[in-house]
Amino acid sequence: MNKQTKDLNQSNNTLDEQISPENHEAFTDIICYLRGADISEYHQEVIRLDLLERVLSAQERGENIQAVVGQDYKYFCDDIIASLPPKTKKEKVFAFFDIFCWCLSILSAINIVIANETINLIRNSLTGQPLNFQIAISVGSVISALLILVIAVLVVEVILKNAFSIGKKEKMHKAKAFLIGAGITAVFLLIAWLGRATLFTVNIFVACVFTVTLYFAHRVLAKI
Amino acid sequence: MIPSQMLKGTLESCVLKVISYKETYGYEISKELQAHGFSNISEGTIYPLLLRLERNGFITAQYRESSLGPKRKYFSISTRGIEALDTFYTDWMALQNAVNTLFQNGGQNK
Repeated sequence: MNKQTKDLNQSNNTLDEQISPENHEAFTDIICYLRGADISEYHQEVIRLDLLERVLSAQERGENIQAVVGQDYKYFCDDIIASLPPKTKKEKVFAFFDIFCWCLSILSAINIVIANETINLIRNSLTGQPLNFQIAISVGSVISALLILVIAVLVVEVILKNAFSIGKKEKMHKAKAFLIGAGITAVFLLIAWLGRATLFTVNIFVACVFTVTLYFAHRVLAKI
Repeated sequence: MIPSQMLKGTLESCVLKVISYKETYGYEISKELQAHGFSNISEGTIYPLLLRLERNGFITAQYRESSLGPKRKYFSISTRGIEALDTFYTDWMALQNAVNTLFQNGGQNK
C-alpha cells in the first residue's frame, strides 16, 4: 500500500467508526466484496471514502444504507467495479509477490522457532555443550508451507467473493464441519509423516537472514 | 416509473445535464432527477455513472468541506462533457423524432 493509499485508508478507518450499528454489517460486506475485486487498492479506498460520505450523510438525514445503495448490494458493487479500470498486470504481479513474500516470511519464522535444532541450540548454549547451527528442512515442511500458502489465498478469495452470503446461509452441520477439519488435519499429518526425509540443511543465521529479507521484500512491494 | 432498460444509455447524459447547470454532489443530483420525473433514482444508481463520467473526462471532481460528516465530492462539467452533451442531445432529438413519427403518424413522416 503506497503512502497516498495508506493515508486514505487511515482517514477512512476513522470515519468508519461513525457508521451506525444498523448500517455497519451491510457496509462491511460491501467493502469486503470490493476488496476482492479486480481494482487497485487506491480505487478501493476512494470508493470507500465516497460511500462513507454518502452513508454518513444519509444517517444524518435519518435514512439507512439502503436509501443510498438500494436493495441489491451485489448489483451495486458490480456496477461500481465495472466503472473502474481493472488492475494492471504490473499491479497484479507485485500484489502476488507481496503476499508470497509476506506469508513465506511468517512460515519461515515459525519453522525456525519450532525447529528441534533451534531448541537444542538454545539448550546447548545454556549448558555449554557443542553448538550445531544447522537446521534440517524436511520435504514435508516444504510441501506443508506451499499448501498453507495456496489454501490461505483460496480461503481469503472465497470469503471476499461471497461477502454477501457467508454467515447468512444456514449454519454448517457440526458433523460436516468436523469432517472437513479432520480431513485437513489428516492431510497435513500425512504430509508430515511421508515427508520426514530431510530435503536440505541450512545454517540458522542464513535462515534468519532469508526470513528477514522476505519480510523486507514484502514491505518494499507493499509500498509500490 | 421509467423501466431501467429504457433508462440505460440516457441516464448518464441526464446526470451530465444536471451537473452542467451548476457544481453539485451525488445526493443533490438524485433529488434533481427525481424532481424532473426520474422516480426511484437513488444515489446508488447514479454513483457508478458518476465514476464512469469522471473516468471518461466528462466531469471533474473536487472534495469540499460539508456540514455533515466527511468532505463531500462536488462535480463540475468539463469541456469534453459539454461536447458529449451536445452530441447526446442531437442523437436524442433524432430518436425522439423517429419514435414520434412511428407512433403518432403511423410511420408516415409529415
